[in-house]
Amino acid sequence: MDSPALELRGIDMHYGYVRALDTIDIEVRQGEVLGLLGDNGAGKSTLLKVMSGVHQPTAGEIRVHGTPATFASPADSTHAGIQMVYQDLALVDAQDISTNLNLGREILRKGPLGWLGFVDHKAQRRRSAAELEKLGVRTAAVTRPVEMLSGGQRQVVALARGATRVAGAERNGVLLLDEPTAALGYEQTQQVQALIRRLADQGVACILVTHNLPLAMAVCDRIAVLNRGRKVADVPVAETDNDQLVGWITGARPSMF
Amino acid sequence: MAVTIAPAARAAGAEKDKDPAVIRSLIFVRDRGIFVLWALLLIAFSIWASPYFASVDNAILIANAAAITAIFAAGVAVGIIGGALDLSIPGTAALAGCVCGWLITHGTPTWLSIVAALALGAVVGVINGLITLRGFNPIIVTIGTLSAMSGLAAVIVGGYTIPGLDSLTFMGTQRYLGVPAPVWIVAALFAAGTVFLTRTRDGIRMMAVGGNPEAVRRSGIHSNRYKVLGFVISGFCAALGGLVTTALVTEANPAASPGIIFNALTAVALAGVSLAGGRGSLPRVLVGALILGTISNALTLKGIQPYWATAVTGVLLLGSLALEKWVSTTVSRRLVLSAHASTHTGTR
Repeated sequence: MDSPALELRGIDMHYGYVRALDTIDIEVRQGEVLGLLGDNGAGKSTLLKVMSGVHQPTAGEIRVHGTPATFASPADSTHAGIQMVYQDLALVDAQDISTNLNLGREILRKGPLGWLGFVDHKAQRRRSAAELEKLGVRTAAVTRPVEMLSGGQRQVVALARGATRVAGAERNGVLLLDEPTAALGYEQTQQVQALIRRLADQGVACILVTHNLPLAMAVCDRIAVLNRGRKVADVPVAETDNDQLVGWITGARPSMF
Repeated sequence: MAVTIAPAARAAGAEKDKDPAVIRSLIFVRDRGIFVLWALLLIAFSIWASPYFASVDNAILIANAAAITAIFAAGVAVGIIGGALDLSIPGTAALAGCVCGWLITHGTPTWLSIVAALALGAVVGVINGLITLRGFNPIIVTIGTLSAMSGLAAVIVGGYTIPGLDSLTFMGTQRYLGVPAPVWIVAALFAAGTVFLTRTRDGIRMMAVGGNPEAVRRSGIHSNRYKVLGFVISGFCAALGGLVTTALVTEANPAASPGIIFNALTAVALAGVSLAGGRGSLPRVLVGALILGTISNALTLKGIQPYWATAVTGVLLLGSLALEKWVSTTVSRRLVLSAHASTHTGTR
């Protein structure tokens, strides 16, 4: 079996005297959805920030597809094929779906116009439509401004933007999802859930941070629970249940380790 | 409308999705409403102020009268679209005019003086941009540079105007093919600006930075350089406007008139360019400036006091705000409706 898409070993993170993360070992494989649960302040966000290069760990090792990596900045982690989808989506409302999906990797026109920096809108729209299709997502026409989309559609666009940057490459990347359904209703949550599953089926490794236990149970292959900076559980979803997870989250249940 | 997650095979067979008619018409009103408004005004005035209004000569007159406002409005609009309201425009304009005039009277070739003045405008933009990047409020920063620049302009010319800049008339009162030079300049500026904002990578990224710098930064783009770029373009437009003003009167005046910025802002706001940044289009801004010119022209033709033009413009501006509000609430209501509808469409 090949090495995990993303692997963290012995990650320590101190904020002054506060130990936010305490020797965390965690890994996610290609095509796997790992749920990251924990109460507020358990260290989920900090861990996510270590993975996305926002924070540098005090100690520990990060490996991407088996290769040791240091993330000095978010750009480094992006470069290594790790994409973060933030809770606040960070879409450009006034621009259309295609422009949002292509931001930072625009297709330039061929010939002299391309040298002047002219963008090939048609090719970008075609690519966006194809990528959305590959994800099995139909939102609106790719020329629709994001501000004219519903909350669920926006979430799908934000997810797709992350996904299109990690999927399809020679080696699939890692998608970090921070509460992707926090602002969504029941039906839209179902849709996002289906999309995450589809991404995993295409070989993307997903790490899902959420407070939503039913979502985690439904979409994840494996769940890790953090409590006060320590990993207290790491189990396949099939071998656990709601009560056990709540026990680990609240600290009522002793650590597996 | 609904977010449908269908198996890829089924989605592939589905025909290319189009937005429903309602959404399309709302987008039309939002994006093209001002053109319709202008057309209506033109028709109304043609009847009301017949036969003087609807003539080629009068059209050229309107275009020429709107030219200066249009140039400054382009600067203000690009600044706002890029995320910052640039209030230093009158100062930059005065400085550019004075520097150009000073250079010409000191024996510099006219073309070089013009290039120098335009470059100076861009430099003022860089200064504004770099200071703003330090985390200061762009409005305050540009108020600061506004007085710094107009003061500097007065210093350069010793507090007096520089008269007799006849070598500039080629971009002032001169006509080409019967059309005055400022109109050509405006046409070129807006054509170039529109192509830049909608067709080029840098322009699109600049608009995106104005809309949501965080989104751009997270896409792995250095958003700061695009913030500065917005100031540079608005500084360039300010300098160009200053030069055309100077050329029209063949006199460089160090007094920065704040009226410039309010006229320009009116045109920009009429064009529906949101002060929040990230949206707007230059053709609409041009029509905004033309509407201002059209109204004052028609009222003048009918011998109505010019104050009425100002009043009418203000009412139009408020009306356009109301329309914009209506469009955005209608859109969000439609979206809520469709979100309800999607619960019955079934997923998976």
